[in-house]
Parts: sequence; C-alpha cells; structure tokens
Amino acid sequence: MLHKQILVAVAIVTLIGSFAFAGGQQDAAEDDGVITLEVLHYLDLADNTSSGNFEELVDAFHAANPDIRLEFDYLFNEPYHNKLQSSAIAGQLPDAVFLWPGKRTGEVTSSGAVKDLSPWVDGVRDEFAPAALSPQGPNGEIWELPEQVTATHVMFANERLLDELGLEFPRTLEELLEQGEIIREAGYIPIAMDNADGWQMQSTLLSALVERTAGREWFDRAVEGEASFSDPEFVSAVEVIQTLHEEEMFSPGINQASYGEALTDFVTEEAVYLIDGGWRTSNLTGEMTEDQYEYVSYNVFPELPNEQGQAGSTAIVAGTGFGMNAELEGEMADAAWEWIYFFAGPEGSRIKAEQGWLPAVDIELPDDSPELTLKLADFLNSTPGGYVIDAVMDAEGMGVLHPLLQEMMFGNVTPQEVGNRYEEWVENNDSGRS
Amino acid sequence: MTISREKKVAYGVLVGPAVLIYAAVIIFPILFSLAAGFTQWNGLSTPQFVGLDNYVRMFTDPVFRLGLRNNLLIVAVSVFGQIPFGFALAYIIYRRMVRGHAFFETMIFLPITISAIVVAKLWNQIFSPRGLFTELMRIITENDRFVLTIFESRTFAIVPILFVILWMYTGIYMIIFLANLQRIDPGVIEAAIIDGAREHQILLRVVLPQMVNVVFTTAVFAIAGSLKSFDLIFAMTGGGPAHYTEVIAIYMYLNTFKYYNYGFGSAISMMIVFLSLGLITAVQAVFRKLEARYV
Amino acid sequence: MSDLTVGAARNRDVIAWKLFATVFMVFFTFLTLAPLIWLFYSSLKPHPEIVRNVFALPKEFHIRNFTRAWEIGSLGLYTINSVIYTATATLITVFLALGAGYGFAKFGFRISHYLYTFFILGLLVTAHSVLVPLFILETRLGIDDTRLGVILPYVAFGLPFLIYLSTTYIRGIPDSLEEVARIDGASYLKIFWHVIRPISAPAVATMTIFSFVNNWNEFVFVFVLTSKQELRSLPVGVNAFAGGMSRDYGLLFAALVIATVPMILFYMFFHEQLKKGFAAGAIKE
Repeated sequence: MLHKQILVAVAIVTLIGSFAFAGGQQDAAEDDGVITLEVLHYLDLADNTSSGNFEELVDAFHAANPDIRLEFDYLFNEPYHNKLQSSAIAGQLPDAVFLWPGKRTGEVTSSGAVKDLSPWVDGVRDEFAPAALSPQGPNGEIWELPEQVTATHVMFANERLLDELGLEFPRTLEELLEQGEIIREAGYIPIAMDNADGWQMQSTLLSALVERTAGREWFDRAVEGEASFSDPEFVSAVEVIQTLHEEEMFSPGINQASYGEALTDFVTEEAVYLIDGGWRTSNLTGEMTEDQYEYVSYNVFPELPNEQGQAGSTAIVAGTGFGMNAELEGEMADAAWEWIYFFAGPEGSRIKAEQGWLPAVDIELPDDSPELTLKLADFLNSTPGGYVIDAVMDAEGMGVLHPLLQEMMFGNVTPQEVGNRYEEWVENNDSGRS
Repeated sequence: MTISREKKVAYGVLVGPAVLIYAAVIIFPILFSLAAGFTQWNGLSTPQFVGLDNYVRMFTDPVFRLGLRNNLLIVAVSVFGQIPFGFALAYIIYRRMVRGHAFFETMIFLPITISAIVVAKLWNQIFSPRGLFTELMRIITENDRFVLTIFESRTFAIVPILFVILWMYTGIYMIIFLANLQRIDPGVIEAAIIDGAREHQILLRVVLPQMVNVVFTTAVFAIAGSLKSFDLIFAMTGGGPAHYTEVIAIYMYLNTFKYYNYGFGSAISMMIVFLSLGLITAVQAVFRKLEARYV
Repeated sequence: MSDLTVGAARNRDVIAWKLFATVFMVFFTFLTLAPLIWLFYSSLKPHPEIVRNVFALPKEFHIRNFTRAWEIGSLGLYTINSVIYTATATLITVFLALGAGYGFAKFGFRISHYLYTFFILGLLVTAHSVLVPLFILETRLGIDDTRLGVILPYVAFGLPFLIYLSTTYIRGIPDSLEEVARIDGASYLKIFWHVIRPISAPAVATMTIFSFVNNWNEFVFVFVLTSKQELRSLPVGVNAFAGGMSRDYGLLFAALVIATVPMILFYMFFHEQLKKGFAAGAIKE
C-alpha cells in the first residue's frame, strides 16, 4: 500500500520536477525593440495605500513609454537591504534600484556599483528643490534622484480631541507634560509612537531635538570630532526623551510596538498626538476620512528649555529615489534614466501629489491636492530643518545608538551614558572621525 | 578482485552524488567562511588579513556575550524542558493514562508543522501591546495600560521566546519518545505490575534505563538546533529590544548583512560550529558515564 | 504486604496518576490549540473588529480577508512554487540519502566513517553562514534566481539528517537478506533497488515527511537566492505580510492561515507513517 503510494508520488513529482527546470531563466534584456529593465523596489505589498499608489505610477509610466518594460521585485525592511547588498557583492545588481541618500545604503553606493546620475541630472537641475539635489558622493556624485525632500519629524495633532479636552497645542515642553495627566485621565494616549525597531525614536524625534539643543553647526563639528556626543548639547536632547517616557507621554509598550501601530492609534483617534515622518501623509490621506483631514494639524515639537540651535525646527533629509547599475550603457542606461526621472520628476510627482506625496520637484501643487498634502507643503515651507542623524552618521553606529535609547527608556542607562557610549563608538569606528 | 571493483563502483554511485552536492553547497562555503573569518572584509573591496582579531573582538563584545547567554538558556530549556515534557507526555500516552490519546498526540505535534515565521508572527501578535495575551492581562489586572514589560528586562526578555520555543518543539520529542517507548517489550511491564510495582517504580526501574540512548540522541539534536536558532527569534523580536533577545545567529546575521562585516560575520558562524561541537562532546562524555553506571 | 493492600495501593496509584496525567495533558493540549484556534477564527474578522474586540468570535465570515490576501500576496503562485521546491527537493534528497545510507551501513569501507561524520557535522551549520559564499558561487555558475539554485541547497541541507535516519535504519536490516541476493548473483545496485528500498519503506516515509515539512517551511534560501516574483515561495510571501508597515491584521492572519493549512492537512494524513518511521528508525546507536 505504502509502496504504491510512493510510486504515485514519484510519478507526480517527476512530472512537476520537469517544470522545475523550465522556469526562471534569465531574461533577454532586449526583445524586439522593447527594452526590459529589472527593478528592485522598496515596497510593502501588504500596505494597501502604498502598493495601490505605486501601481498607478507604473501604469502611467508604461503608457507613456511603450518601448520600455519594467519588471519589478518588491522587498521591504531588512530583506530589502539584504538583497541589495548581496546583489551588489555578487555583481548582480538589478538595472535600477531604490536607494537612500545617506549612509543607509552607503556601502553599495560608495562601492562603484551605482552609476553617477550627474550627467542626466544637470539637464533638469532647476526643476528640483535645491535641498533635494545636495551632493551624495564625495565628488558631488548623485547616486539616486530623490522623490521628495523628507521631514522626518512631524508632530501631528488631532485638533478635535484637543478641543474636546479643552487644550491647545502646547508652546513649551512644560505645557506638553502638563497635558499628559489630562489626556490619560480621559482614556487617550498622549503621544503615539512606535519604536520596536529602534530607528523611529532617533529619526523622527531625536534628530529634530538635537537640531534644537545643538544645531547644525555643532553637528558638523561633532562629525569631525571637534565636538562630542557626550556634550550637554546632545545629552539634553536625549534627556527630553527620557522625561517624556518617565512622564508616560508615549504609548504604553512603545518599544515593543512595531512600525505602524502608532499610526493606527492616531487614525482611530485614540491618541492626541502622533510623532512620525512627513511621509506618513500619504498613509493618513489613505486611511482617514475627509472630515478627519480637517482637524489634523502639522506641528513641530514644542519649545525646549535650553535651545542653542534652531528654534522650531524639524529634521530634513533628501528623500529616497532610484539609481541605476553602473554597468548600464547606451540605450539601457537611457531607459533606466527615463524611469528614474519619471519617478522623481514632474510626471511622477504630479501623480504622487494627488496621492499625498510632497515631491522634491518644484511644481505648483494643484488646489485640489489632498488637504493633508497641502498642510505638509505649508509645514515644509515654513519649518527650518536640521540633520537627520542616520543620514550623516555610520549605519553601524545606529546599531549602537538605537539600543542605547531603548535601554535608557527601560531605565537601565542614563542619558549621559547614552551620549558617552555612543561617543565612544563613534570615536573608535565612525568613518567621519577617521 | 572483480567483486571489489564492482563494489567500489556501486559505492561511488550510491554515495557520490550526495557527497558532491553536499561538498559544493556546504563544505566549500564553510571553508570559505573559515578563511574569511580571519579577514576584515566588507564584501565589495579586497579582504584584509587580520588573524584572530575577529575572534578577540567577538569575546570582548558584551552583545555577543549576551547572545551566548541567551543561546545557552535556549539549550537549557530544550534539554531540560522540551525533553522532559516530551517524555512525560509520551509516557502518559504510552501508559494509557488518558482517553483519546490519539487526539492528544496529534494535537501536540501540530506546532512543528507550522513554519517558524508563522509561529513567530502569531505569538508576536499575542504578546504585543494590542494582542490576545495583553488584553487578557488587562482584564485580569484591571489595568488599562498593562503591557508585557518583561521584554524591557535585560535578564528576562528572553523568557517569552523560551516559552514559544517550548510550545513549538516539545511535540517532536514526544513523538520520538513515544515511538521508542512502544518498542519496549510489554511483557516486561506486565511482569513488573504482577510483581507489585507501583507506577513510579515502573518508570524509574524499567522504562528509563532503556531510554538513555534516546535521551542522548535527542539531547544532541536539541543542542545543535538551539545554537542555530534563528528564524523564530528573528521573526519575533529581531533580537531586540536593545539586543536583549539576541542570539548568536542573529548577531552573525546583523554583522554580515546589516553592517557588511563579512570577515567578522564569518568568524561568528564558525564560532557557532565550534560551540556546538564542544557542547556535544561534553554531552557525549556525560552519557558515556551514565551508560556505564546504569545500563 | 498482602495482595489486598497492594491492590488498593495500586488502585489509588492509578487514579492519582490518571488524574495528574489528564490535567497535564489537557493543559498542554489547550495551550497548543488555543492560539491556533484564535488565529483561525480571527482571520475571519475584518481588521477594526480584531483590534476592538480581541477575543470575540467573528460576527460574520469575512472571507474577503482570504481573497484579498490571496490576490495581493500572489499566494496562489507562491503555493505552486512551494510545492515544486518542496516536492522536487524531497524526492532528490530522500533518494540520495537512501543510497548513501546503504553505502555507509553495509559496505564496510573505512571511508564511510569519515564521510558519515562529515554529513552529521552539517547539522551544526546555519543557512546564513553559507549564504553569501553560496550566492556568489551560484551567480558565477549562472544558476542564481533559478529553481535549481534553490533546490540544490535544500537537498544539501536536508542530507545530514536524512542520511542519519537512513544509515541507522539500514544498519538494522539483517545482513542475511543481502547475502541471499548476492548469492543469487545480484549486483549491489540491483540489491539497492529491489531489496533495500522496499524494506526501507518506513524509513523512507519518515524521511519524506521530515524533508517535506522542513522544505515547505524554509525561508532564507528562496528569499536571498531568488528575486523574481515568479519564483517565490509561500513563507516568503507571508513574510511580506508581516512587514513593517503592514497593519491589516485580518489580511495578516488570513495569510498565516493559508500558509499553515497545507502542512496541517499533510500532517493529518501522514502522522501514522511518521511515527512508524521514527520507531523503525531504531534510535539505538
């Protein structure tokens, strides 16, 4: 009986197995005039808003460029970076890849595997906001064309809830802390944030705080080693986070909450404030109702007691975008540029603006853009910005800083120790200090 | 002479393909890793020889030591948790102490068939600030802001993970023990009962001595599996928060794929192999002694 | 002690043990099943309902979770791929392991001892440690991003344990069977096919099931060694759902259920064989 079962299984498997070798051959890059490009994109397929939006974009591109065919591979989070890296090492980088401007994908961009886009960019430079096209490589190379200028820190507020509680957006940190008690009594979460991955606290809050307490000038010196992260300028920013946590201003279990939980809390109106990046605008647009748009306000963190840097600032970085494989030449390279430019330039931006993205391109936002996009635009236009820490410091150092921040919130480490230990790592390891 | 040659050829045909594939996929890369472990290399530029630096760095890194400690805890839970539990469950079923044993058997083995990723996501959900367990605790403790703070403790953050590992793997040990229990001659048990033996005597005097070998083998598998442990923990907490639930395999992964330190990462993977060998040899020694005394 | 007292003592004994055993068993089983049952019925609720009311049974069967998860996650395609990878790799591995087991167990060559240890050491190796060199190797050979490129590592990593099982089992086959066939003039390969293979059926069953389950649930290799959507497998697809920004728990749970059901069904049908295989696997080294 078993014997027969096995025979049958063998037969079926052999049949299936013969298909195994049939699939998955490398595609010919060019096929009767249509150029096919392999593109690796950073996208969470299960995020309805983003994936739906992206599909729209791709369809528009294909319609406008019938002689170019894009084949996508989507990955997200760690898996994306793994794949990017392994491909680069094996010399198998896809034709176009999604890159970060700073250190996040620094190893790959500085390795020579990615082509410098400057020749193409020079032709369209004035279409972009200057901040977006700041040099990415040591010789002014542009590795990727940013799709937007990102503010990584926005303190969203639910004005309706504030009214309900008889409160106003606080001007100072003190006022914010005083509100905490009232908000919690009413059963709401004061500030929704999630930090299971560790980067959120650094990118969406600490960076902006550092710009307040220390400022760009100090930071430039710190990168070179003439100032230190154990200085009070840096430590006082870290202290603010400690204070917020001790005063129960954050969502409970913030360091176990995975990215997106805070957004949910804000959308379901269980939280009064949300601290997240400006990029959340498209998610908010997709998930909130039109009525809700009206009472969402874009703010920066309230004033800190000892600001030596820029007041009322956020943290800004040129956004992510596509770059191309350095080995592409001629037609393939031009085709890749078509996509890169489409994605970040006027065409793509127009589509994305309708979806809630704020582009790097200077375009006139149509008046019927989603309300939140307009609010974001206003926010960016009126808010100065400092560095985002992980854009200027080594990625490996983030692996030291993020856990330190978490440990501090657990009460195992003091803010000063966070500064000291991070400084120690930076002194010994960061590439800026060599 | 002809027999010998025919035999050799047959041997080659039977064993050859397996050896070939194995060598290509595992041996070659391992040797590569062994060599790379002595270098400083980011994968893209040329490697630089640094001798034992990587190993020194490993042992002086508190994160590695924390990972090692976590791994040893997992080994302990596997050997002293899964194996005894598995055995207890098998024994109960074997001695027919409950009805519907087939049902229980099937159910307890179930978690093994589920992918580690699924298990991880499921339990993550359950323990998360908005999950099943947390909600339950909120009702029980009447505290609306209750969250599982055990993750914030450097010492105890690994506990929920230990629990999930137990949940997932005990079934397999149950099955192994059950299968082996059923090979015991029933006559011996009956004779013992007739002689007036109580249950615990049957357990200690008749059954256990015959199981020593099985326990040894399962212990070896448990150790090997524990030190390699990656999928489940990575999908559950990623080694966080703040490295509290990190294990060596994750430490290696982060250094290799996140920080591009291939030399260092390779050294770490070699360390996993060395540690496993060490532990298994130790266990073997212990069992030789036990066997000598009891069997 | 008189017979009566012994009998009474035994009776109390039995009841006490039965009680303890039942409680223990029920507790363990409950612990095992509860999360799964929760997963299943939660997958039938839409996301807001899940968040608001964690314990409640679904008000209606929100099948949309499943259809959407299936579509968005291309789960149909992934399932087919999973089947292909798993079935092919299992078939090859079992076959090779059986052959090697015969070689090691019965041929008496000294080299067998070394080769066997060689394979057993493979149990200590994690997928990640070979990942990068393997990736580079495959790219140079041009088999990366192909099904073959995934199947070969599956086979290689499956060999250690399967060879352990087959060698142990075949050792237990009486030499006499082989001798009789030799006297009749059969070649070794013929013996392998006609004698060893049929007798090893229980071990083959165990090996197959083991290999099947492991390969089905495998994640890392498909993940790193393939990029094309058409080649991805189910665990990889599910992982996409568990990504950072995915917050639709309904979809997530539905995906988890879809990923789990095939294995559960498989197990339901074959668990008898699995047990027999372990028993016959004669773990008595």
